[in-house]
Amino acid sequence: MKSLQKLLPFLTLILLFVALVIASPHFLTATNLSSVVRQTAVINIMALGMTIVIISGGIDLSVGSILGLSGIAGTMAMAHGASIAAGIAIGILTGLVCGMLNGIMITKLRIAPFIVTLGTLGIYRGIALIISNGLPVNKLPQGFSFLGEGNILGIPFVLWLLVLCALAVHFLLEHTRLGRYAFAIGSSTAAAVYAGIPVSFYTTAVYAIGGLLTGLAGMIEASRLMTGQPTAGFGYELQAIAAVVIGGGSLRGGEGSVVGTLVGAFIMGLLSNGSDLLGISNYVQQVVIGAVIILAVAVDELRKRRLV
Amino acid sequence: MLIELKNIQKRYGGVAALRDGNLAVNAGEVHLLLGENGAGKSTLMKIVAGLVERDGGQMLWNGAEVHLKTPAEAAKIGVAMVHQESLLAPQLTVAENIFLGREESHPLGWVKRRRAVEAAARLIEQHHFPLRAEWKVEKLSPAGKQLVEICRAIQHGSSLLIFDEPTSSLSGAETEEVFRIVRTLRARRMGVIYITHRLEELRAIGDRVTILRDGQTVHRGDLAELTTNQIISHMVGRQVSSTYHRDPFPPGEPMLELEGLTVKGKIDNVSLTLRAGEIVGMAGLIGAGRTELCRAIFGVDRPDKGSIKVAGKLVRVDSPRAAVKAGIALVTEDRQITGLALPLPIAVNMTMANTEGISRFGILDLKKQATVAADYITRLRIKAQSGSQPAGRLSGGNQQKVVIAKWLFTQPRVFLFDEPTRGIDVGAKAEVFDFMHELAKSGAAILMVSSEMQELLQVADRIIVMRQGKISGELPGRTTQQEIMRLATLESGLESIS
Ligand SMILES: Nc1ncnc2c1ncn2[C@@H]1O[C@H](COP(=O)(O)OP(=O)(O)OP(=O)(O)O)[C@@H](O)[C@H]1O
Ligand SMILES: [Mg+2]
Repeated sequence: MKSLQKLLPFLTLILLFVALVIASPHFLTATNLSSVVRQTAVINIMALGMTIVIISGGIDLSVGSILGLSGIAGTMAMAHGASIAAGIAIGILTGLVCGMLNGIMITKLRIAPFIVTLGTLGIYRGIALIISNGLPVNKLPQGFSFLGEGNILGIPFVLWLLVLCALAVHFLLEHTRLGRYAFAIGSSTAAAVYAGIPVSFYTTAVYAIGGLLTGLAGMIEASRLMTGQPTAGFGYELQAIAAVVIGGGSLRGGEGSVVGTLVGAFIMGLLSNGSDLLGISNYVQQVVIGAVIILAVAVDELRKRRLV
Repeated sequence: MLIELKNIQKRYGGVAALRDGNLAVNAGEVHLLLGENGAGKSTLMKIVAGLVERDGGQMLWNGAEVHLKTPAEAAKIGVAMVHQESLLAPQLTVAENIFLGREESHPLGWVKRRRAVEAAARLIEQHHFPLRAEWKVEKLSPAGKQLVEICRAIQHGSSLLIFDEPTSSLSGAETEEVFRIVRTLRARRMGVIYITHRLEELRAIGDRVTILRDGQTVHRGDLAELTTNQIISHMVGRQVSSTYHRDPFPPGEPMLELEGLTVKGKIDNVSLTLRAGEIVGMAGLIGAGRTELCRAIFGVDRPDKGSIKVAGKLVRVDSPRAAVKAGIALVTEDRQITGLALPLPIAVNMTMANTEGISRFGILDLKKQATVAADYITRLRIKAQSGSQPAGRLSGGNQQKVVIAKWLFTQPRVFLFDEPTRGIDVGAKAEVFDFMHELAKSGAAILMVSSEMQELLQVADRIIVMRQGKISGELPGRTTQQEIMRLATLESGLESIS
């Protein structure tokens, strides 16, 4: 019973998949599936970062803006003659720095993460608009499209990337001190401090890693569109948070997993893809996704309550 | 019969917390409920107080079967409980907590705040508790919270009062006051159920006894017919001595030297030296500054003046991190807040302060972690299914053992124990003292803060007494309770508790 409920998100995903196979002949085609993967990969990679942040008891509302700023920074570098690799590196680095700044403000100024990142949500977006004059960055090198649209062995390159990131974050969470401390800080900051854990350092590191992954997601998004959009990623923070929460992460901290988050992100991806295929309007989609979030958390709470 | 519990069962997932719980309490008696850590005492009482629902068995209230599903339903028939782990609202004041759920309100709906504060102040005054009605509960020490729980329960209960280890962090004067309260309730013909691991308390207030072991009632009877050793063997099912004896060895080099340590308003010019191999006891009343001293040594509060030397070297301890690095460990008195990350597994908690100890090349060795945890679980007799069980699902005493294990694993040179045996059963106490002895033998210096004078007298080589933030004297290990009390109370030391 207990494990069944734990598996619920997973079962939901499978059920959703099967239902879509039956409901739409266009679903189970290579083009459609690869487009689902490419669409979800961006949110998924952000959500992996968000998973660590949420496990540590924090939240990052600014990831949508970080995504936009990273994309702009990376593409502008390329437009000004930087190599593709350098451009991507600059985008990722921008994300890392943005996340780190969030972490530093949270730990040094002792302001709640919600507030700090609500502030930087505006600041980072504003900077993206300022440096780009609000205009998209075009004229990117042809090869850049490989990041978002290329294939290796017939499988979308972004899927390889996603798997790599997922494995790395899983390893980080379960097998390194950083992951261990993220859980500890999220479960009880007081106990973590008294155990001699350098809480500020690791909190900052957690946000920095979240930013880094968001920076990568930003470059993928830019590559898919082959432009740097200063408005890219608008509203993505809610989708990333939703993916973590559907996958069993708790906003109280101390809970969450890579597998859960991946499942959560794919559930949302399938919901929106399925609605598109079945001609369900965008408006209805929003209602459905909202309802799924509440339902997922309600089921999770029920599971926990039974055990207390 | 006021209340009768028959064949009560309760399972948590795979574990049976209660298999066959039986208990009968008359009006006008003080009924002791005894048993090892994890025997099911708290669970049985939470069922009576409406906090937990039973899976099976009967509960008769004045002869009629009842099902109490919420604390509010229990309160309606006059049942109230002093909880082992504070269930107070931390952000509210002492007065608000005492009257929470029973606020007197104006006919138009607003709460009569001033009246509540006055009533709470009267109650506190009447019992001489070192509290103020307007203090925030969050800022109180465990002892302070315990006193608020007690005030709250006597306000809410009218027919049956349950005390779940009410004195576990109280010292002499407050403990006496709790006894007085219990006797008054008995004289008013109320039923009282009293849980404790402090064996010397039994004879002071108990009338009858029920003993639980592994979720089953194994003995019921009059207290007068049992010797303490019989009680212990019913509890643990084996022979354990209730007194502990150790042979001190000659102390070695100074391991911790404090010179004029001062934290404004908390501790005042404290100088002391702990030597390798020594177990130094620290006594004092609630609020004497013992916890504050530990916090200052451990880098939680920064000292305004004074110096700390570890193993002869001057150290700057400005954070717990620095303290841990310098080889200092602190078993805090508040296991649920500063001691444990309750949702995380036992094994993770035990290794949290020493992840280096389970890492290779910076990567956690989860096998080693499991081995370490399994080892402490056996050695400290922690009643758990496995090391991967969340620490918050353990009984109070077993949680305390996890905190102790966590610090044992850091292998420190200076060990500060703040009320280490709080809520630990008699068997495990001996185990903990053995560990301390081993630590001392291996060259660590130990400072043990305790409100239980008996245990200080059994374990400590010498006893330092604090009063109002100062050291008021030092006594040899073989001293008497009277001597300790004399130094602890020279003047009434009942100022700030927070
Ligand atoms: N919320 C819970 N979830 C799972 N198991 C629990 C929970 N609470 C208690 N238990 C288990 O039930 C058993 C009885 O616990 P209980 O708290 O009643 O013990 P206790 O006799 O009060 O012990 P102590 O003297 O340490 O306070 C223990 O084995 C404990 O691990
Ligand atoms: Mg208990």
